[in-house]
This record gives sequence, structure tokens and C-alpha cells, in this order.
Amino acid sequence: MAADTTAARSIVKMKVDEDKIKTLSPHLLMAYSGEPGDTVQFAEYVERNIRLYQIRNLYALRPSAAASWIRRSLAESLRSRRPYSVNLLLGGYDTATHDPHLYWIDYLGTISEVPFAAHGYGSYFALSLLDRGPLEEGLATLKRCIDEVSKRLVVSPGNYKIKVVDKDGVREVEL
Amino acid sequence: MNSFVERYSTTSATGQLRRAQRLADEEDEFSDAAWGSSAGFGNIVKGSPSFMVPNTPDPTSFLRLHTDDHADPSCRIKIQHGTTTLAFRFQGGVIVAVDSRATAGSYIASGTVKKVIEINPYLLGTMAGGAADCQYWETYLGMHCRLHELRNRERISVSAASKYLSNLVYSYKGMGLSMGTMVCGWDKTGPAVFYVDSDGTRLKGDIFSVGSGSTFAYGVLDQGYRWDLTDEEAQELGRRSIYAAGHRDAYSGNTCNLYHVKEDGWKFIGNYDLAQLHNQGYGYEHRVEGRSSANPPEVVATA
Amino acid sequence: MEAISHAGTVLGVLAKDGVVLAAEKKVTGKLLDLSSAKDGGYGGSGEKIYLLNSNVIGGVAGLTADANSLVNYARTAAQRHLIMYNEDIPVELLAQRLCDMKQGYTQFGGLRPFGVSLLYAGYDPHYHFQLYHSDPSGNYSGWKATCIGANNGTAQSLLKQEYKDDIVVKDAIGLVLRTMSKTMDSTTLTSEKLEFAVLTVDPVTKQPKAKIYRPAEIDALLVSEGLAKKDEDTEMKAA
Repeated sequence: MAADTTAARSIVKMKVDEDKIKTLSPHLLMAYSGEPGDTVQFAEYVERNIRLYQIRNLYALRPSAAASWIRRSLAESLRSRRPYSVNLLLGGYDTATHDPHLYWIDYLGTISEVPFAAHGYGSYFALSLLDRGPLEEGLATLKRCIDEVSKRLVVSPGNYKIKVVDKDGVREVEL
Repeated sequence: MNSFVERYSTTSATGQLRRAQRLADEEDEFSDAAWGSSAGFGNIVKGSPSFMVPNTPDPTSFLRLHTDDHADPSCRIKIQHGTTTLAFRFQGGVIVAVDSRATAGSYIASGTVKKVIEINPYLLGTMAGGAADCQYWETYLGMHCRLHELRNRERISVSAASKYLSNLVYSYKGMGLSMGTMVCGWDKTGPAVFYVDSDGTRLKGDIFSVGSGSTFAYGVLDQGYRWDLTDEEAQELGRRSIYAAGHRDAYSGNTCNLYHVKEDGWKFIGNYDLAQLHNQGYGYEHRVEGRSSANPPEVVATA
Repeated sequence: MEAISHAGTVLGVLAKDGVVLAAEKKVTGKLLDLSSAKDGGYGGSGEKIYLLNSNVIGGVAGLTADANSLVNYARTAAQRHLIMYNEDIPVELLAQRLCDMKQGYTQFGGLRPFGVSLLYAGYDPHYHFQLYHSDPSGNYSGWKATCIGANNGTAQSLLKQEYKDDIVVKDAIGLVLRTMSKTMDSTTLTSEKLEFAVLTVDPVTKQPKAKIYRPAEIDALLVSEGLAKKDEDTEMKAA
């Protein structure tokens, strides 16, 4: 299995390390950024609805289904009185078909399935690197992206939390 | 018979309405809007989100009309912006220290403001941003903390209390609330500090400082902070940090109120006049008085 | 419940690589206009077997009017799932959706429950091929082979004797037809009395493929399985 399913995002806020990657189900991760307040509220809303589905049906939503549901929630929210401004990366491993998926979702409700993705200012550096670089070693590539962002971005975040999801589930890793 | 049937039928309009209302009543503790935008299931229950909003067509612009001091210096309400508040967790509990200056525009409206709100004997909230917003909602939080105690026969955790506040202010997001507060206390998990602001952000942490003078306070605080500070050292650090902020930030100053939260609840340590502290050894000229490279201070000498 | 035990038999068998569904048509006769059914109208060849979603076929026994309402509900529920999750509805979830609705009508006075039992033959990536049965009370259960409607006891015991765990679709078709011919009141099986459907997975696209047989296809199938009209032995020999 050579595909890259790692999701990583930066932190640093009010001088604390916040975990901005939520584990939605045993094989599903969601990284979020955006309007303060909205991010956590929306992430918890998603987390609990996905958990509810899992309790009701005994199996978890597949990544593609979860992504569609999340996108729809955001799209409905966009047309409400006060929309959530949250950008997301959703990474998951489909235990039914045994393949990894990564989805890029923004606050407008755009969704696209991609081999690699990034949000925020860091994406300007990371994406070009990912477009060129070899993708066989996910974590090594990720490290190069983080190094590049640290080197070139004016206000680069200092700490990163990195989580991996694969057939064994979710785990946190150090680079 | 017809009315009886309707009462128990699932499909009739009134039946559905009644069921929805019953559901809504069961969860009256949380306003539906606490679930966020109408994408949340919560809002379906009552049909549309409902919570208390000032009786004007557009509360947001109403508030801006009466509070924006840049556009209209003569407006009625001025919001207190300048403040320094800090709280930190250490081995001996939580230290909460705040200044006492209230500014309205460029005037000092008061020099004896209580910026620590005593929610209950185990919980403190600090006040930065809109004084009225903080005072009102933290008192309101105190009411719910008490209700939680009566209902569940145990004290509310700091985490739960802060979450309650954050959900509450989140439901008013975008309508002009302005608060930056730290909810501090001691619960089963030990000492705890949570930062909650009117964006809806809620963070758990060891050290926080909020307000226009927070950067100055952070400077002193971060340098002097260790987990294993003694009680006296910690209190001194809190005081010293507020002094630093009061000294450098024009919108902070006057006096410092110091609280210490321990296992058996909070204790008011004292009120310190920052000018006096300055003259009693905190000020630069007092610290360097009579010192030069000829008689270096002992600390430096031993190092 | 009473109506169901008189209704035409519906029979389902779960195989390793597919699910087979067959139903006995009750409304027949020389004067019935079958011209549209002959062409194989959309969604089914008649009164009992319906395509609920691209991955689920339903077989109904009971009051036809109630069944139509339920089928409509099931199709809507499946589309609602598709809109929210962008995937075919899992079979068990669809069964649950219908059962929630059916249960609702047993709870309150003044309303009449749906007089319908259903068989659901479906496929989803979670549990692959599945066969469920639901009754008017809102209970549902999964089966390897089961039967609803008239004479379901007889059919059930026949299935119990003949069912093998690793049965494949080809054998399941035979099993279903044989059981059907023994259960039905009439002695002969024809497309006039029978509805038939098979759910498999397309080997190329890996997508579920539901096939509801047209009358002509059913007749052809009966011939190939050797179950066509018994008094026409001569004709069979000729074929």
C-alpha cells in the first residue's frame, strides 16, 4: 500500500498546543481550520453525528459517505442565517474496499478527492512540493513540506501534530 | 374520540408540534442556537432558532450605532477595552491576577473595578472586553453552576462550566458580544484554567493572559513561570506580571487584585496599588539604585 | 397478518454470489391485460417484485395498495440516503427505515398497520449479499433463505432441507423454482403466475446488478430448468 493518507495540520494559538485533528471513527480523521469557535463547534457536531451513525448501525460510515455528509452539512450551513466558516481535510481508510481516501473540503461546500491536500498559507509552499515530489513515502514527504513551510513562511507554526490512518486504524506519529 | 386519536397519532400536525415542544422542553438548559447554524439537528426541534435578542430589528447594527467610538465619539455606551488579566496553573493551585482600571475612550472611568467575578466559592471568572457582557454572563453562568449542583449533587467541573459559557456566547456570535475571559477553579481533576472568548473559542491551558496589556504580562509570566513554584513565589509572579502590564499599557493600571484558588476554594489575597509597588522596589530605578558594575547584584555574582 | 397468509408466496434465497427472489402472482386470468408487462415495464413485471434501489430488490406479500405506499417510501428513503451520503443505502438500513415506519403504525390508536410483509434482497459493501424479511409489526430479520405469504410453512421446511451454505446463484435459481412449484396451488409454473428476480454483482464494474425477469425470460428459464408445463413433454423433447 503506497498511497498517502496522512493528514497533518499546524497549531499554535493563545500559546497552547491545540489538537486540530479529530478522530471521527476508527478509520477516519478530520483536520480543521477556519473561524475560531466555528471550527471546534462544527468538528464536534460532525464527530457526534458520525458516532451516532456508528452506534445505530454497528459499522462506521465509509470515508466517501462521511465526506459527502460533511460536505452537505457545510453546504446547508452556508445557506443558513450564520454559516460555519470551516475548512477541512478528511482522511480515511475504507475497510469495506480496503483503500485510502483523502478529501479536501472548504467552507463553501466544495469537495474533491485528491492524492494530497493542504489548507491555509502553508499550502502555497506545500502543494508545489507535493506536485513534484515522490509520494511513495508519505511521512518523509510530509516532513519535507513542514520543513519548507517552516523555512519560507513568515509566521510559521512551530509545532505539528501528525496522525496516520491506515488498515490498523488511527495513530499519532512523531517525525 | 377524535381528539384522543389525534393526541396519540404520529402524523397529525398538532401531534407533531406537541412532540417537538416536549422534546424542546426536555432540553431547555441549552438554547437551540447553541448547536450552531441551522445545519444542526437542534434547530429542527423548534422550527427556528430562538433565544433572547434585544427588541430591535437588527441588534448588531443597533449595538454598533451606540458603541462605536471611532465613528461617533459622543455615543452613549463606551466599551471597556483596556485591561490586563492573567491566570496560571501551578503546583499549588491557580493564581488569578487582574488590574482594576476601566477606560472609556481615553478617560479612566474607574480605578477600582473588580475584574474578577466570583462565580461561586470554587470558580472564578476574569473580565476583559465588554464589562457588562462579562459581568452579566458570568453571573448567569454562576446561576447555572448552582443549578447543576442542586440537580446533580456535585460541583460542576471547570471544564463543564467553561463549555457552558462558550456554547452560550457562541450562540450570540456575530451579534456584538465582546468578552475574553478565563474560567478558573479547582475540581476533581485538580486546578484548571480555561480561556473562553466571544468568538466561541475555548482553550484549556496552563497560562493565559487576556487584554490590551496581556503581551507585557506574558513577558514576565513566561520568564518567571515554573510548575513547582511555591505559593508565595506564584503570588509574587502574578502581582509582578500585572505590575509590568500596568506600567507599560496605558489602558491598564491602578491596582492589582490577586486571587489564589486551592483545593478548598478560592481566597482573595489582596489588593495592591501598582504605584506603591513601583516605589517599593518593582520599578526600574529602585532596582538599579546605587548599583553599577563595581557592586554587581549578588544573583549575577554567584552565577 | 391474516391477509399475508393468503397472499401470493414470495420466496428468497441467499447465495454466495447473489440473491434470488421469486413471487407468485395471484391476479391472473385470460382477460387480464398484460400487454405492458410483456414489454417489461420499468421497475418490475407486475404486482410483487419491485426495484427499491439499484442495489435492493423488494418482494411484497399482503395488501397491494399498502405495499405500493411502502415501496414508494422505500425508494424515497434510498434516494434521501443517496443525497446525504452519496452512496447506495445499506440494505439493513433500508429495512430499518421501513420498519421504523411500520412500527409507528402499531403504536397509536386510530391507525391501521400496514398489512404487508417484505423480503429485501440486496447488496452493500459492508455485508455484501443480504436477505431480510420484515413483518407488519416492524420486526425484521436476516435470512439465508425464507418465504412469506401462503404456504410459507411448507416452503420454509423445503428450503431448510435443501439449502446448502455455499450455494451459488445458479443452484439457488433451481432451488427457488423447484420450491415455488411445490408450494404453489397450481400445478404448473408459467410467467403468468410467476415473478422472478436475481441480484448479482457485475464482475467488471463491481456494482450490484439487479435483474427482474420479463415474462418471456421467465418462460425460457422454466424451460431450461425443466419446470415448464408438465403436460407438454412432447414439446420439451422437441426443444
